[in-house]
Amino acid sequence: MWKNYFKIAVKNLLKRKLYAGINVFGLATAIACFILLSLYLENEWTYDRWYKNVTELYRLRMDYGEKGEKPVQTALTPNILATAIKDQPEIEKVVRVYHRDVSIRYEDKNWNEKRFLYADAPFFQLFSFPLKSGNAATVLSGPDMVVISASMAKKYFGDTDPVGKILLINGKRSYQVTGVAADAPSNTHLKFDFVASYSTLQLKEYWGSANYYTYVQVQHPAQLESLQASLTALARQQLSDEELNSGASLNFVPERMADIHLHSVAADVTEEKGDMRYNYIFALIGGMLLVIACVNFMNLATARSTERSREVGVRKALGAQRGQLFWQFMMESALLTGIALGIGLLLAKLLLPAFNQLADVHLQMGGTSGYRLYLVLVIVFFLVSFVTGIYPALFLSGFRPVQVLKGSQTATPQGRGIRQSLVVFQFAASIFFIICTLVVQQQMQYIQHKKLGLDRSEVLALNGFKADAQVLEAFKGRLLQLSGVTHVTASAESPVDIQGGYSIDHIEGRPASYALNINALPIEKDYLKTLGINLLSGEDLTHADIADILKEPSEERAYHFFLNETAVKKLGWTPEAAVGKRMMLNGRQGTVKGVMKDFHFTSMKSKIEPIVVFPEYDWFQQIYIKTGGSDKQQVIAAIGALWKEVQPATPFDYHFLDDDFNRMYKSEYRVGAVLGVFATLVMIVSCLGLLGLAALTTQQRTREIGIRKVLGASVTNVVAMLSKDFIRLVVIALVLAVPIAWYAGHNWLNAFAYHASLSMWLFVAAGALAIVVALLTVSLQSLKTATMNPVKSLRAE
Amino acid sequence: MIELQKISKHYPVGFGKNEILKDVDLTIREGEFVSIMGPSGSGKSTLLHILGLLEEPSAGQYLFQGERVDKMNEKKRTQLHRGAIGFVFQAYHLIDELTVYENIETPLLYKNLSGSERKSKVADVLDRFNMVAKKDLFPNQLSGGQQQLVGIARAIVAEPRVILADEPTGNLHSDQAKVIMELFKQLNDQDKITIVQVTHSDLNATYGNRIIQIRDGYIQG
Repeated sequence: MWKNYFKIAVKNLLKRKLYAGINVFGLATAIACFILLSLYLENEWTYDRWYKNVTELYRLRMDYGEKGEKPVQTALTPNILATAIKDQPEIEKVVRVYHRDVSIRYEDKNWNEKRFLYADAPFFQLFSFPLKSGNAATVLSGPDMVVISASMAKKYFGDTDPVGKILLINGKRSYQVTGVAADAPSNTHLKFDFVASYSTLQLKEYWGSANYYTYVQVQHPAQLESLQASLTALARQQLSDEELNSGASLNFVPERMADIHLHSVAADVTEEKGDMRYNYIFALIGGMLLVIACVNFMNLATARSTERSREVGVRKALGAQRGQLFWQFMMESALLTGIALGIGLLLAKLLLPAFNQLADVHLQMGGTSGYRLYLVLVIVFFLVSFVTGIYPALFLSGFRPVQVLKGSQTATPQGRGIRQSLVVFQFAASIFFIICTLVVQQQMQYIQHKKLGLDRSEVLALNGFKADAQVLEAFKGRLLQLSGVTHVTASAESPVDIQGGYSIDHIEGRPASYALNINALPIEKDYLKTLGINLLSGEDLTHADIADILKEPSEERAYHFFLNETAVKKLGWTPEAAVGKRMMLNGRQGTVKGVMKDFHFTSMKSKIEPIVVFPEYDWFQQIYIKTGGSDKQQVIAAIGALWKEVQPATPFDYHFLDDDFNRMYKSEYRVGAVLGVFATLVMIVSCLGLLGLAALTTQQRTREIGIRKVLGASVTNVVAMLSKDFIRLVVIALVLAVPIAWYAGHNWLNAFAYHASLSMWLFVAAGALAIVVALLTVSLQSLKTATMNPVKSLRAE
Repeated sequence: MIELQKISKHYPVGFGKNEILKDVDLTIREGEFVSIMGPSGSGKSTLLHILGLLEEPSAGQYLFQGERVDKMNEKKRTQLHRGAIGFVFQAYHLIDELTVYENIETPLLYKNLSGSERKSKVADVLDRFNMVAKKDLFPNQLSGGQQQLVGIARAIVAEPRVILADEPTGNLHSDQAKVIMELFKQLNDQDKITIVQVTHSDLNATYGNRIIQIRDGYIQG
């Protein structure tokens, strides 16, 4: 019997190629997307959950607030914290991690490496990253030791054994390779290429600067409460009575390792943080596509009911029971689903590299979690077969033979209402995703074109500059002689993403205890000029000002500060009155030299906060070069040649400021791109369903159309008549989708302190697109029927 | 074999009802060849459908082989379809997707016969109807008469006690009709299959041994 069901199912599919094609193609597309998005989500949800002792692993967060302000949460902690807690009874092990970019030389090869970590000795014991060679307990046990990843071993040493080889770091110190680790998997926030021993850094331990991640392994997860109590007590000790009285607060909070990627407020170590919202969006898209493809299936199956009712009637008259017919139809949907699943799987395999690029991930199929995917696919197979089969099977097997067999075909297509509701649902979903895509893209446009208050265009950034003021001056002078270079400056951080947290106090006209949390950035003399930051009051820096801050020892220096408008407002000054005021920035005594017009120095997600920039030549990491006009490649080549002379130990590594800027919105770009592709797919699969439905409807109305044409209807009349019904459905879908999309878009935009407004044209565009696409789909079929010779269609009756 | 007692059938139409059959009493004995005749709309097809258990009467009793079937549930009714009743339709109603062979095989599938049994039974019927050469063709590759032959082959393959034929030659020209009617005659004579046909044609009716006239829902005479 089953063999026969199968045979009949195959025949039915072959007989109706358009119908089967639409179903298989739609379902295969949906399944392929489902697989890709499942892989993505699986990666997200297994982030940092795979370490052997994951339940005992925590990262300590620091919550620090001044004078009653809401504490700022950061993952960076002082380096002394680890020393202070390592003897607590709850603690098994503590590891500090410090991330920095370095340049590495091996023999004549020279690279800049961005995924370089310094970590305490038990790093490979705490985190179960497998080591290919070396002993986890000893690989980082002393200074100048480094463990490299397998791909780095290949890059630097080819096929020779890296253990024992010497790498020159930043042109100064030599590190010995003590071990090779397997490449970090895609689901860890500690993606490293190099892990060097923390003891190499020989850093003074103190509470004053928070630049280190502190990871702990507790002896037992149940001890979390007592650990928190000790941490709170420890933090309390670090605040003076004076600070406490002014309302300052400090605390350290353990965050579960598994929660860091998606739930921690603080960023990940070597990459941007995950975002739960986007995971929900991707899950929604994956599920939705599958549902829409299933809907196509159900719609087409029931729309064909007239065609199949005769078969049902005959079979019943021949002795078929309802149950037998039910299973026959179920078999058909199972067969279709099976074929679609096969094609979908193949499609997913083929598209995985493209998806990896689109979503900026490195997913593999059938990797560590292969069996889980296949388990999900088996479930999907049964679920989709069941869902797509059950309604048509019940519906079709329920036909009463006499209705069907009596004379002519009196059985009219049934379930029209349900079919129409399903089409409305599909198009509502399509329109919703299209609007979401447009909202994201509009915001990205807004960010790109928003006046930042600083000019980031054509600014070249050179990484890894290390030299004193004199060398810098000389280098600057030679750079400025190149044609195409207009300004040159230097700084410690990218001007579009300034993170440094400082505070100012001892402010003229304020009590001594008053302090203001502020972002700060050391700059070079021509910084404001190079980046086009405007001054509201005061003067730009002069050579005399620079001489003031180059004095040694540093106690004799007189600093010059530039505050932004927001900072000045917070201090209760006007821009003019601010100039010349005395203040102290983390121990630096100086006066306000000028007030800058507000500019965006970090992501648009945050409001502009107070910032101070000040000349200080000890920290520069990057050279910024404003280029203009002429051939860019030539300018870069010339700069590169100069760099080789001045900084022979460091590779010439440059990027544009625009890249820094765009990187801040990486996850938004990514979600925009993914959303765009999948919204298109949702639309296409919906249209496929519509195409099939239109084909069937027009086919069923052939006779009516023939009669109408005989009575004098034109082709246009007929097409309009046939298309009208479908367009009405799309319009209803539009009405339903718009409020939901508005709400979602509104919420998403609100995460940005600065955002585009939701404009009407967006909704109009999405609606128009949906209607045009639907119209094209439908009219193709309508036109075919409408131009048929009426005599033919009537005779066919 | 078949006994109808005071069978009525009506459909609701608007607020009233459309009476198709009124108090029909009818007995058909085993081995009879009965022709039901009457003008269009007289209720003959409905009568046939009730006989074939495709429709339930609104009132009255129906005994098939001495068993009351008018109140049977669908499952039991299906059992009867499979074992005892074969249908032949005016429009043949072959399944377009299946070959001649498969069409004939279908009732046997629903009787849960084994593969080899099905094979031999279908082969017998094909042989008997001289259609072995056509067994792999699809219905639309056959003429109307040939299609109806397949329809009859399909009706008898499960060896029913009675064949119900609804204007079996209605779509055929006279030469083809003659072949079909002679086949019915032969099945009635040789195989002792009871045959009930609905027909408009006086000529066709002569093949049978009893004519039932129906008019406005009543059996005449």
